[in-house]
Amino acid sequence: MSVSSVAQQKLKHHTYKECVRAFKVAIPLIISFIPFGMMLGAQAKIKGMSLLELVLMCGLNFAGGSEFVAIGLWQQIPPLLLIVCMTLLVNCRHILMGATMIPICRRQPVRKMLLSFFLLCDETWALSLQDSYRRMEEGYREPFSYPFYITIAVSFYITWIVSAVLGMFVGPLLGDLTQYGFDMAFPAVFIVLLRGMWNGWRRGIPWICSLLVACIVHLMVPGAWYVIAGTMTGLLMVLCMPSRFFEVKHAE
Amino acid sequence: MLNNLINEHSFLTIVGMGFVTYLTRISGYLLLRNKDYPKLTRVLEILPGCVMISLIAPIFVTGKLSDLIAVTLTIITAMRFSFLVTLVVGIGSAGILRFFLPMILH
Repeated sequence: MSVSSVAQQKLKHHTYKECVRAFKVAIPLIISFIPFGMMLGAQAKIKGMSLLELVLMCGLNFAGGSEFVAIGLWQQIPPLLLIVCMTLLVNCRHILMGATMIPICRRQPVRKMLLSFFLLCDETWALSLQDSYRRMEEGYREPFSYPFYITIAVSFYITWIVSAVLGMFVGPLLGDLTQYGFDMAFPAVFIVLLRGMWNGWRRGIPWICSLLVACIVHLMVPGAWYVIAGTMTGLLMVLCMPSRFFEVKHAE
Repeated sequence: MLNNLINEHSFLTIVGMGFVTYLTRISGYLLLRNKDYPKLTRVLEILPGCVMISLIAPIFVTGKLSDLIAVTLTIITAMRFSFLVTLVVGIGSAGILRFFLPMILH
């Protein structure tokens, strides 16, 4: 019995350490979430959304991009079908994100993952993926750290809802936060993560094509099609080129 | 009782949003979980970068010189420095350039 309790204590300690580590990684992003959440709350207020509606939307949907779109389309009697379809379109990228998680969480129970995916957002996905890749390289048997994922996900979830509510009350006083440059936080995060995933020019080619097509589509087609178009371009390139092309040559 | 707090139409819209979003979150994982092709692995290695870079595409084409310079500075910083430094440079340069660049150019 004492053996098992020692093991349990060890596990508890390990979980605690993983949570602290995750929280440290997440702090800069938590801070950058606040102005976005506040902007969302401020715009919801302008559109005449109630506090309960805002909290429900942030809590049930929890996907920033689609929430901005929904509030843009919001009315006294909201256009249900249009908003739901736009949500689906904006969030299509989650399908690909979920797929990219498969290789790293193979050993995790399916039901546990299905529950955890409720909290999956761009930033949680990116940080968790990066962490798992690092653990893989360092030779861990299990690349996916569940406490790491859930700590990041829950702290983003709470931050998002709290800052949206805050924005509803004080937002209209602050004006447009983008003019102070806070909207650059999102690209900056992804640029750093892309640098971490960079694995030579050959693997970079699909990325650059994705970027070009996404830029062109963004300029020509309104809405969130650019994410899908850019991603699909990269996907097609990977599928069309022989696998050999993308093999990473390790330096001798 | 719910009727007094939130109108039915708003409630259904929000629940609908939450439902389709959750579907997008689990479907990629559920549908491809048991598949195993070498090609799929290759795709899943390169795809995250494609999603990420597509997501940030709008910042490259806002049509404002200040944004283009700021994003270039962010990329250069990211190649050498840590995450936090890059974040500060990105937000700081965007804020400063958007404020001062129009003044200098006019």
